[in-house]
Amino acid sequence: MKILIIDDEERFLHSTQKLLKRKGYDVETASSGEKGLDLLLEKNIDVVILDVKMPGIGGMETLKRIKRQHPTVEVIMLTGHGTAEYAVDALMWGASDFLIKPISVSEMIGKVEVSFARRLVLENKIRAARDIEKDRHPESKQPINNESRKDK
Amino acid sequence: MKQENPDKTMRKTILSSMILIPMIPFMLVIFIGYFYSKISIENRTVESMQRIVEDHRQMIDTFLRERRTNLQFIINTHSFETLNTSRNLEFVYHNLRTISNAFVDLGVFNEDGLHVAYHGPYQLEGKVYKDEPWFKEVMETGVHISDVFLGFRDYPHFIIAIKKKENDRSWILRATIDTHIFNTMVGRIRIGDTGEAYIINKQGLFQTQPRTGRDILEPDPARSTYLRPHEGVKTYTSVRDFGWFLGQPDAVQNDHLVATTWLKEKPWLLVARQEKQDAFSGLRAFMYIVGLIAVIGSAAIVFVAFNQTGRLLQRIRDVSGEKASLKSQLIHATRLAELGQMAAGFAHEINNPLQIIRSEQALMDFILAEMKEKKEITNEQSLEELEDSMRQMIIQVERCASITQAILKFGRHTEPQIEDIDLHLFIPEITGTISNKAGVLGISVKQMIDDETPHVRGDKGQLQQVLLNLFNNAIHAIEDRHGSHGGKLTVSVKPADNASVEIAVQDNGTGISQENIEKIFSPFFTTKQPGKGTGLGLSVCYGIVEGLKGTMDVSSQVGQGTTFTVRLPASENGKG
Ligand SMILES: Nc1ncnc2c1ncn2[C@@H]1O[C@H](COP(=O)(O)OP(=O)(O)OP(=O)(O)O)[C@@H](O)[C@H]1O
Ligand SMILES: [Mg+2]
Repeated sequence: MKILIIDDEERFLHSTQKLLKRKGYDVETASSGEKGLDLLLEKNIDVVILDVKMPGIGGMETLKRIKRQHPTVEVIMLTGHGTAEYAVDALMWGASDFLIKPISVSEMIGKVEVSFARRLVLENKIRAARDIEKDRHPESKQPINNESRKDK
Repeated sequence: MKQENPDKTMRKTILSSMILIPMIPFMLVIFIGYFYSKISIENRTVESMQRIVEDHRQMIDTFLRERRTNLQFIINTHSFETLNTSRNLEFVYHNLRTISNAFVDLGVFNEDGLHVAYHGPYQLEGKVYKDEPWFKEVMETGVHISDVFLGFRDYPHFIIAIKKKENDRSWILRATIDTHIFNTMVGRIRIGDTGEAYIINKQGLFQTQPRTGRDILEPDPARSTYLRPHEGVKTYTSVRDFGWFLGQPDAVQNDHLVATTWLKEKPWLLVARQEKQDAFSGLRAFMYIVGLIAVIGSAAIVFVAFNQTGRLLQRIRDVSGEKASLKSQLIHATRLAELGQMAAGFAHEINNPLQIIRSEQALMDFILAEMKEKKEITNEQSLEELEDSMRQMIIQVERCASITQAILKFGRHTEPQIEDIDLHLFIPEITGTISNKAGVLGISVKQMIDDETPHVRGDKGQLQQVLLNLFNNAIHAIEDRHGSHGGKLTVSVKPADNASVEIAVQDNGTGISQENIEKIFSPFFTTKQPGKGTGLGLSVCYGIVEGLKGTMDVSSQVGQGTTFTVRLPASENGKG
């Protein structure tokens, strides 16, 4: 499982990455939405932890772009300021969860695991669907996205 | 405290106007009254003086006329022959004396001025008066009253002389008037203590002796003032007797009220004078009374001014206090909204570092656990202390988080979802949620919902938040006071004025001190221990109620309990 944390707080990225790595997770970090999107193109990311309030394109916009470009990537929103509307918005745009800072790291990991599990389920379904498709129309080659599965 | 200065200037302004405004007309009335009265008193004094002087003049004139007619009678009833011997004259003289003892002597003169017969204390027989002024005068005019002169006897006196023509020859009868008697009569004028009267002749020489020194025939120092022809009585209200008393400088400046009048019998001027102070002594008494009235009146004005200013200021303070508190409530309301947004911003910013602390702590925790596992840390005690510190970090971050959450909740201003709420149903729902907690603490919860209560306009979620806040506060206060026995919490709902509904949450808890009651709606005001309360509960309620166009009030008595009253607009659809 590969996790990407996008947050403008460098120190948060640093220590969380260190901790998660120690716990055996593969963690990438990006300090802005743009950088995060670049990384998503480069690496196979399963779960994104995304800060809502950031300089640059901001969390909400980043969420929208991620979901447009990588629909199966799970995005967990993390914010210092949670209003109900915001949460509803985020969920509508495809975020899988909406967490409010400060959240304990173990809780965060729990949410990540849940999201990852969901993604697995989803990808399996997609793969199954594709297999059926392939059986019927072997000529059509339509990958859903540029990712391939790679388990932890 | 900052109000002290404006207060003082206001006090000054009010006080000075309260004193000056009545004082000016008061003083004006006093002064005008005083001056008019003074004038009328002066006039009366002058008039009475004039009357006295006029009477006095008449008396003197009468005296002179009578003496003259006495002599005329004698001269008409006697011939020169019957009187030209001193013996005969003596007889007549004695008769005359029975009429008036003012006659000192009696004499008869022939045409040539020879004193042919005389009866009196002097030896004047045989003297020739041909060149004496009075003799010439009487020869010319027939009747003559002389000025006072020294004459042969060298003693101030005056005479009355009458000429008679008998067979181509004239003779003259002359009598001397007793200077002392005349003096006494003229001087016997009674005007006050300092009044006096005297006579001066046309040259301004004293004809009688004034009471206040000076001798007969000396000139009157004020003669230039008096000697002018006039009818009746003339008065001078201010004559300084400058140089009057030589060698008595303190008396020099005495101001006098003077009345003069010319005699009819003789061109003599009767002068009556009185020291002004004495003349107007009535005025002085009057002045004292006026002064007293002025002083008492002013004192009364000042007293009333001070008294009223005090009251007025108190009143103003009260009113401006009310205004200030109204204003502060308004400011409070608008501030609350701003503050909410600001606080939300802060809370957000604080949450980020909190998150970092969290992560760091988790990292430390992890590393610590690893080290412990690998037996890299062997000091058990230190390890325990470290772990305890770690836990504290979690707890404290948790605490910060709860504060920021509360702030964020407080700052959240979502548009309320206004709907009609039936309190008959709604209130029991909410009390239901606290009934467990209340039951545990032995609090009896009562609801009294007036049947007439209309629906209210409001947001259910928000109203729930308000009521729960109030209930929780009440439960806390009750617990603080009673522990777990004897608590009472009453929710009463009834229609109120201006199409509103009143929800009162009453408890018998600790109550709120006067000092605190002003602050309880302020954000972050709490009397709870650190970490136990955020102090945002009531300010949130306040903000919500305000947003619902309602009002919120509190009344409390320490040791009795507290009642929070929320008024919400009633639904226009009337009762449900
Ligand atoms: N019913 C009451 N009886 C006595 N005191 C009260 C009552 N309600 C409020 N107070 C006082 O007002 C203060 C402020 O109340 P508020 O609800 O704003 O904050 P809090 O209750 O202290 O904190 P929180 O609501 O976050 O728990 C309380 O600390 C308490 O002193
Ligand atoms: Mg409270």
